[in-house]
Amino acid sequence: MNLSTDPWVWIAAILTLAIFSFLYKENPFYRFAEHLYVGIANGYAITFYWHRILVPSLFDRVGSAQTPVSTKIWLIAIAIIGALYFTRFIPKISWLIRIPIAIVLGYASGTSIPRAIDAEIIRQAKATIVTRASFANWQTGLWALVILFGVITTISYFFFSTERKGVLKPVSYVGIIFIMIGFGASFGYTVMARLSLFIGRLQFLLGDWLGLIK
Amino acid sequence: MSTTRENILIRLQKIDRRWIYLVLWLVVMIPLLFPFKIQPQPSPTVEKLFNYIDTMPENKALAISVDFTPDTRAELQPMVVALMRHAFAQKRRVGLLAISVYGLGLAEEAIQQVTTEFNTYARTHEDSVIYGEDFVFWGWTTPVLTVMLGMGERITNVFPVDYYGNRTESLPIMRYIKNYDDIGILVTIAASAIPRSWINYAQVQFGVNLSCGITAVSAADFYPYVNSGQFIGMLAGMKGAAEYEQLVAQRMKKNGMDWALRNRGTEAMSSQTAAHLAIMAFIVIGNIAFFATRRRRK
Repeated sequence: MNLSTDPWVWIAAILTLAIFSFLYKENPFYRFAEHLYVGIANGYAITFYWHRILVPSLFDRVGSAQTPVSTKIWLIAIAIIGALYFTRFIPKISWLIRIPIAIVLGYASGTSIPRAIDAEIIRQAKATIVTRASFANWQTGLWALVILFGVITTISYFFFSTERKGVLKPVSYVGIIFIMIGFGASFGYTVMARLSLFIGRLQFLLGDWLGLIK
Repeated sequence: MSTTRENILIRLQKIDRRWIYLVLWLVVMIPLLFPFKIQPQPSPTVEKLFNYIDTMPENKALAISVDFTPDTRAELQPMVVALMRHAFAQKRRVGLLAISVYGLGLAEEAIQQVTTEFNTYARTHEDSVIYGEDFVFWGWTTPVLTVMLGMGERITNVFPVDYYGNRTESLPIMRYIKNYDDIGILVTIAASAIPRSWINYAQVQFGVNLSCGITAVSAADFYPYVNSGQFIGMLAGMKGAAEYEQLVAQRMKKNGMDWALRNRGTEAMSSQTAAHLAIMAFIVIGNIAFFATRRRRK
């Protein structure tokens, strides 16, 4: 056993144990660690936004004699629009928050919709097309057919415009099977992910803190 | 006899969840202290990314976007470390950035670890990895759209100052990495939907080659992008990290870098295997108990 002498490692280890204590039952140690985490995470982010964004990109530029007046006006106007987010704390003028939200939504939608159609629909649809190249070997050919069949049957399950009878009934039933397989894979991966995080903490406790892992 | 068995089955279904936690603690902890050997076999998606970086043209850089937060460090940090080792072992330039503020410290930690490893074993100036020449840490800026679209025009415009406060224009490496054209592949290491944004903005607009390292929980969401070729391979969870670590270790050995380096992903594999077996056993026992008691109730 080779205990760490680093006080920060000790603090991290104690906080880790405080969080794990929730597995037994809710307690003040857990609540303290949880609140500390949320507070530090927010404080850290706010500090970075202040020092790395607001100070160099706004305050320094507005205060600099080299910045043209027109740029300064733009910067101040944008800063005022951004500050309107805080009007939600003043009920009488809280409607002003709609201005920055509308600008952000408009900008984000305008830039993302055409790109998302390309990346998420056209290219994904292309990937389901079975071509001669898909049959370079029997395995790729088989998987290409499985993907095509899975996509068609799954989409048919979400086809709500008509009653599920005739051909649509068995096809959509196969779609459910594909969906269930997808859920199973997701659940398996979720278990793996949660265990990985737990393993990571134990690597820290047993290795970095207690020095038991060689 | 049958009543006793029935009691056991009923008690199994009502077992206090804390006993299950205790069993999992032991199942995960014991293999960490007394590991059994597991050699992760690289999956095709991991091999694809490895082969791409391994054979990437010398004048192309590897960009790593550290897009995760400390809560997923266990799964994703080994990926950043392994990717950096691979690039340095193959003498490729590396540029790092963070889309999330919380990724900055994690990227810095990986940089410190890998540069210390390489510079400890370096015998000549050529062998060592030097900041500003072999790698650069651009840091973080916001908003995300500006970063992803701006890097396609000129990286030094997006990051005029690097993480350490140097003017990026003054760094020699930036003569070779001007925009996406000079990046062989950008690997986003993320625990969120950020890889999708990289596709939508950086790839659709500028055609940059992308890959991702993601948490296991979101792996199923990103397989379609690997299948469509939008991602060149993928590292999924700690297992993906362990597989990549194995490939990098083999590459480094071939390159005469047979160093004793710690591979956290590979270390975790014996615990993960044991824990998966335990959970499978729980599921089987729970289902047997459920169906057996239901049949008796009928």
